[in-house]
Amino acid sequence: MATKILVAVKQVIALDEDFEIRADGKDVDADFFLRDLNEWDDFSLEEAVKIKEAGGEVEVVVVTVGPEEADESLRKCLAKGADRAVRIWDESMEGSDSQAIARVLAAAIKHEKPDLVFAGVQSSDHSFASTGIAVAGLLGWPHAAVVNQFDFSLGATQATIRRELEGGVLQMMNIDLPAVLSIQLGINTPRYASLRTIKQAAAKPIETLGLGDLSLNAAEVGEVGSASRVRRMYIPEKGRAQMIEGSLAEQAAKLAAIIKEFKGATV
Amino acid sequence: MARDPKHDILFEPIKIGPKTLRNRFYQVPHCIGAGSDRPGFQAAHRSVKAEGGWAGINTEYCSIHPESDDTHRLSARLWDDGDVHNLRAMCDEVHRHGALAGVELWYGGAHSPNMESRATPRGPSQYASEFETMTYCKEMDLNDIKQVQGYYVEAALRARDAGFDIVYVYGAHSYLPLQFLSPFYNKRTDQYGGSLENRARFWLETLDQVRRAVGKDCAIATRFAVDSLYGTSGIEAEVDGVQFAKLADPLVDVWDIDVGDIAEWGEDAGPSRFYLQGHQVPWTKFIKQVVKKPVLGVGRFTDPEKMVEIVTKGYADIIGAARPSIADPFLPKKIEEGRYDDIRVCIGCNVCISRWEIGGPPMICTQNATAGEEFRRGWHPEKFKKKGSQDSVLVIGAGPSGGECSRVLMERGYTVHLYDTAAKIGGHINQLAMLPGLGEWGYHRDYRETQITKLAKKNKECQVALGQKPMTAADALAYGADRIVIATGSSWNTDGTNCLSHDPIPGADASRDDQLTPEQVILGKKKIGKRVVIVNADTYFMAPSIAEKLAAAGHEVTLVTGVHLANYMHFTLEYPNMMRRLHELHVNVLEHEFCSKIEPGRMQAYNIWGDGSKRTYRGPGKPPRDENQSHHWIEFDSLILVTGRHSHDSLHRELHAKSGEWEKNGVKAVYLIGDAEAPRLIADATFSGHRLAREIEEANPQLPLPYKREVAKWGVAHVAGTSAAIEYKV
Repeated sequence: MATKILVAVKQVIALDEDFEIRADGKDVDADFFLRDLNEWDDFSLEEAVKIKEAGGEVEVVVVTVGPEEADESLRKCLAKGADRAVRIWDESMEGSDSQAIARVLAAAIKHEKPDLVFAGVQSSDHSFASTGIAVAGLLGWPHAAVVNQFDFSLGATQATIRRELEGGVLQMMNIDLPAVLSIQLGINTPRYASLRTIKQAAAKPIETLGLGDLSLNAAEVGEVGSASRVRRMYIPEKGRAQMIEGSLAEQAAKLAAIIKEFKGATV
Repeated sequence: MARDPKHDILFEPIKIGPKTLRNRFYQVPHCIGAGSDRPGFQAAHRSVKAEGGWAGINTEYCSIHPESDDTHRLSARLWDDGDVHNLRAMCDEVHRHGALAGVELWYGGAHSPNMESRATPRGPSQYASEFETMTYCKEMDLNDIKQVQGYYVEAALRARDAGFDIVYVYGAHSYLPLQFLSPFYNKRTDQYGGSLENRARFWLETLDQVRRAVGKDCAIATRFAVDSLYGTSGIEAEVDGVQFAKLADPLVDVWDIDVGDIAEWGEDAGPSRFYLQGHQVPWTKFIKQVVKKPVLGVGRFTDPEKMVEIVTKGYADIIGAARPSIADPFLPKKIEEGRYDDIRVCIGCNVCISRWEIGGPPMICTQNATAGEEFRRGWHPEKFKKKGSQDSVLVIGAGPSGGECSRVLMERGYTVHLYDTAAKIGGHINQLAMLPGLGEWGYHRDYRETQITKLAKKNKECQVALGQKPMTAADALAYGADRIVIATGSSWNTDGTNCLSHDPIPGADASRDDQLTPEQVILGKKKIGKRVVIVNADTYFMAPSIAEKLAAAGHEVTLVTGVHLANYMHFTLEYPNMMRRLHELHVNVLEHEFCSKIEPGRMQAYNIWGDGSKRTYRGPGKPPRDENQSHHWIEFDSLILVTGRHSHDSLHRELHAKSGEWEKNGVKAVYLIGDAEAPRLIADATFSGHRLAREIEEANPQLPLPYKREVAKWGVAHVAGTSAAIEYKV
């Protein structure tokens, strides 16, 4: 039986230099959204595709929670070697936080029954760094975060992983499978898609699932199913320049005071 | 994005006499190779800048009379009604875009060799030009002075009739008015020589006469080199410079000031190798302090911050530019719209100038492939025809040609995948920019990198894949592109193959530890010994650049050169300071010497003229000259081979060998561009990528489309109403 690796991916929002905050003050105005696949997901997908290319029967399935626009990112994954792409969406999912998204992904994992789940360490837009681990919690699976090396043989019940800890410390550990791993940047060199695989990906179907397919109800997702709410999104005021006046000694004293204050505030 | 309000000052209008410049951006007179004989080229090149927001746009220097004929170099001319007719096209086009048109009236004196007209140039005293050393002028008597001043007036009237708004009396670059002003030329003892007032008389009278003739209709400008940079032998800014400015101020409407002379005019048009933006300010800043009329000055200004500083610090009122306006004709518009990232910054290589110095070819630009191609190829610098098909294009190589090709294809809406083994866009520019003084050449890479990144964001089908493994023919075929562009560049020969022998040099082998190519020197991975010998057969910058780099690092450098060292740098105006640099670094240059063989630790040099001046037929197998017996050995610790380059064209050849597999892989065509086709100037590599991208839908895009030629037509007289027939005066 084929080993199935499920890679949870996200279409993130990138911003150019110029953008505006939405009138309700809770998000950036969607007119300024530039959409792209989350940078971490390039690495987790590559890690899965590498396992497939090493030989044996492996199926790589990418799954995302998002509206139709997210198909573009899924096609990118298909062009880079994913076998199948699944997009889960229902309008009630709008406004989901990472916990609600994790609930949807956990349901999708029960539905797909993969042997291994990869997620990115975090998404570049919201940066909660919690979805992958929340999924593991909901499933009750072993999990490891910030993985930067992964060794695994097909059919094995354990994998050896290396994680990044604080202060440049690395941790080697074994983990029982199936497990959820959040993959760190730099674990590999993600490939580029060729024009041929992009064309092939354009012709592949994207499977879509809704609430009912996953036996979820609307109260478990979206804002109502979330544990957190966005109160306000804003651009902090930029630092100010200040002309220091006075005699040389006075200027030096003022400068020293500013440096001390700055150090105190940041140390 | 709106412009930064601190740049608002650059967009204030400036009144000059009867005319008003709409802002402070001004294209000073500069050569392009159009003159009056290629009116379409002239009109299109200048008017594209008017469209790009410049307020004032000039011709190149414009001869007032056949006595000032710069052939073989190419000036504009206002000799007759035929020239008026042709230059009117430029004025009309410039006016259509709301800018003022200016003309720089020029009389060269001994600096113009008059090779076409065969007339005798006149000057304040008799001397041989230090620029055209075989040309002497006739010393003017008072009658001559009146006559030549009359030429200025007649030309000014023709200029007004052609539609010019600004009329110059050109006294920079050591042309006639300055020859009167400067004691370096003027040895007269009458009322036109001696004291400053006397030396200034010719210039002041000429300005006065031109002003009386056309001053109501046209702004009167004068271009003045405020310091000859010779010390007391010429004009010094704080001495005669400011004094003359005070005397002439009532007669001019706008001052156009610079420094230097003609023989070393790289001190004015300073190459980035030696001079930064604004390098003339320490000399030119004095003029604004003593005059009431607006002052404009040059200095390769590309940065709006620097421009604002020039204005607010009171160095000048108007930002003059020649090279920055060539590299980016839309520089003012891009600043106005806050599109700072889109500015194609002049790299200061002076390849534009090189074409004038060579004498005749149309100007080219390293940064702007459309410069000079506006009329004849119909290339607009900022506008592109939408793509003509849905074809996807794989460009292999992100150097000057591949980068430019990708940029233009992306601008046109094509899906482009740009692929390179290097981690950064730019190809060999990434290496060249590490040579002494060439950092600003990196702007060529930066512009393309920025634009390609932006365009790839806009069209997500596009992709830039860097740091990839080298692509094989099989990879390229399987890639899925409809069209493949090979831009894999070139590199320096490792075996000494050169333009003199067309063969390797026996013993040359840059895979050895003690021999290096220029790339290996720049990469810095091989240890270089104390005694360095450079074997040179290249006439541009590489050998002197490597010599400078190594000598400055403490190596003893001997440069053995079988060709005229740095000859092309004469044309880019880099030669004089390059030679000064080699001299101060004690580089030992052996001219007329080349290398016959190399052994470990020593190379054999010979004098290239050592084979006897007599040529005799001696039968087959016997050379017609004597055996060269000038050979001698030179020891080295490291030897650098600057002998020649070769294309990286193997991928292209392999793909053509597999042409039978193209169709089943969906490949319609494979093209070869840039150095991969033939090593060349960066400007020409850039051009070749740009051209392919513009013409990719044509029947055979590998070969250029014909361009519109502007040539005299048999049977049509230049001056209307005169005869074009062959007529002997017998």
